[in-house]
Amino acid sequence: MGAEVDHVSPMGMSGGSAEVNDKSEGLRFSCKNKLTALVVDNGGVCRVIQTALLRSYGVETEAVETGEAAVELIASGATFNLIIIEMLLPVLNGPETARQIRAMGAQSKILGITAFFDERDQQEFLAAGADEFIEKPLSLEIVIPIIRELDN
Amino acid sequence: MERSQLLRQVAHQRQTLFDEGLLDEQFVQLEELQDRTNPNFVEEIVTTYYQDTSRLILNIEQELERRPLDYGRLDGYMYQFKGSSTSFGAKKVKAECSLFREYCRAGNGEGCMRTFQQLNREYATLKRKLEAYFQLARQARLTETASRPG
Repeated sequence: MGAEVDHVSPMGMSGGSAEVNDKSEGLRFSCKNKLTALVVDNGGVCRVIQTALLRSYGVETEAVETGEAAVELIASGATFNLIIIEMLLPVLNGPETARQIRAMGAQSKILGITAFFDERDQQEFLAAGADEFIEKPLSLEIVIPIIRELDN
Repeated sequence: MERSQLLRQVAHQRQTLFDEGLLDEQFVQLEELQDRTNPNFVEEIVTTYYQDTSRLILNIEQELERRPLDYGRLDGYMYQFKGSSTSFGAKKVKAECSLFREYCRAGNGEGCMRTFQQLNREYATLKRKLEAYFQLARQARLTETASRPG
């Protein structure tokens, strides 16, 4: 039908960096631990939105455009609790990026993400070491359980 | 214009974007990411969305002029377009992206071109209505600032 209007200007959340706003349950909960994430997406708007969403939940988030940049970052010693990787990246695609990250011993939760869900892509990504594979958008329904899981 | 009337107009214009199926729930999530530390987040996202997608439109237009059509390349561009549109909440544009991709996969050039024309129309409509909405919202914020005691 359409979103109900309850305000004129978009009003966002406020709160400390460690606070998480669980809108789905109407409750606030605080992360016990500092969480970090890496977004790997060549789409500018996707990268910005995913980063902003994670940061709004207190997750320290970095973003890169390519699989090669993600691999370089991990190789330099950076560690992340969560890595979100777009399926169709140029040159080094999502699954290959995940494979190389896993080969370096990274134990991050890896979430493969795609614009169009395809079972073969899912199989490829999971075989490469991803833990989950979802279709965009990265929504609260997906992010909140992941944050809770990582925080525990 | 009286402020309360302006606010009602802004609210109405926003609701229309959803009622007409131009935007979906994802856009509401973007609005909820806007706060005092990032007061222009939504407009910045809109700008980024149009920067990303205008480049893709140009690429697709150029590809549609080639013969034979390279369905692989077209598919790739439309994949990106759909990803951006889904993340943004552009509901009708997203639907046209999916349809285009089906025609691509079927090797149906005519279907691709027809769908691309429709996509362009939906895209232009969304852009125009969003610009009008944000312009009105900015006007409302200015009246709020002006009405505060000095």
